Amino acid sequence: MAKTILAVDDSSSLRQMVAFSLKAAGYNVVEAVDGQDGLEKAKLQSVDLVLTDQNMPRMDGLALIKTLRTLPNYAKTPILMLTTESSDEMKAKGRAAGANGWLVKPFDPQRLIEVVKKVIG
Amino acid sequence: MKRKKILGSHVKRLLSGVAIHGRRHLNEVETDLLQTELLLEEAIDKLTSSFMAIHSAVGARQEAIDRLLAGEKPSAEDSAKLSDMSGEIGQHVNVAITSMQFQDMTSQLIDRTLRRVAGLREFLGTLSEHGAEIAPETDSEEIVERLGKVSMALAIQSLELRSMLRKSVDQHHLESGDIELF
Repeated sequence: MAKTILAVDDSSSLRQMVAFSLKAAGYNVVEAVDGQDGLEKAKLQSVDLVLTDQNMPRMDGLALIKTLRTLPNYAKTPILMLTTESSDEMKAKGRAAGANGWLVKPFDPQRLIEVVKKVIG
Repeated sequence: MKRKKILGSHVKRLLSGVAIHGRRHLNEVETDLLQTELLLEEAIDKLTSSFMAIHSAVGARQEAIDRLLAGEKPSAEDSAKLSDMSGEIGQHVNVAITSMQFQDMTSQLIDRTLRRVAGLREFLGTLSEHGAEIAPETDSEEIVERLGKVSMALAIQSLELRSMLRKSVDQHHLESGDIELF
């Protein structure tokens, strides 16, 4: 059964490109427009991996990760950040919040799929 | 200190504060716009190359398909080309997807510029408001007091504006970014 990935980004074009790339590799993709939407969708259905942007309205990526990590279902679910942010300071914050990896935009679809496969198979 | 000197030093402080604040923000606006231009130029170049390469690969595939449909036996070269074509097109599509992400980056840079411009407009508004309170007959002590207040208000506004405009896009090229697993 195909694994499901929750892709959270406030840029619709970015979400489309992430979804296109992951679906082509055989994954199911659920899209969310910001952290708040991502949290609501994560509560509604179980996902195998969360791929989230950082800078978004209503709830940013770090806040989303911190909140997800308080939910029993998401205590160990892999969460990757996919963001334009590239500073060591932000990466450290992501790690402290509970992220499992940091991908700096722009992403190359092939490399994205390789990372996702490495993390969830 | 004589009243005239005190007034002069307040005017000097205000003018230099406005100049420093304005220059700093305009420099950042210029940097962000130049970065936006670089990203847009590179995106257009790469997208143009990718689309032309995709068009060319699809055309070559169609020619091979047409020869097969016409009953020709595919040569070893045709067979190899056909099997490589999906991978070739896939590579061009990947480059196009990477390049199309310029929109995400440039929109953040433009948003930052717009917020900075709005902040500068507010800054000038504060200057204008306080200036309007000074009438030709206002005595110099009151002018000194008002200049002190406006300098303070502008310094606070400048700090607030700088603190809300943290730079989140440092990319100058559309190359695939770093990946780090923790």
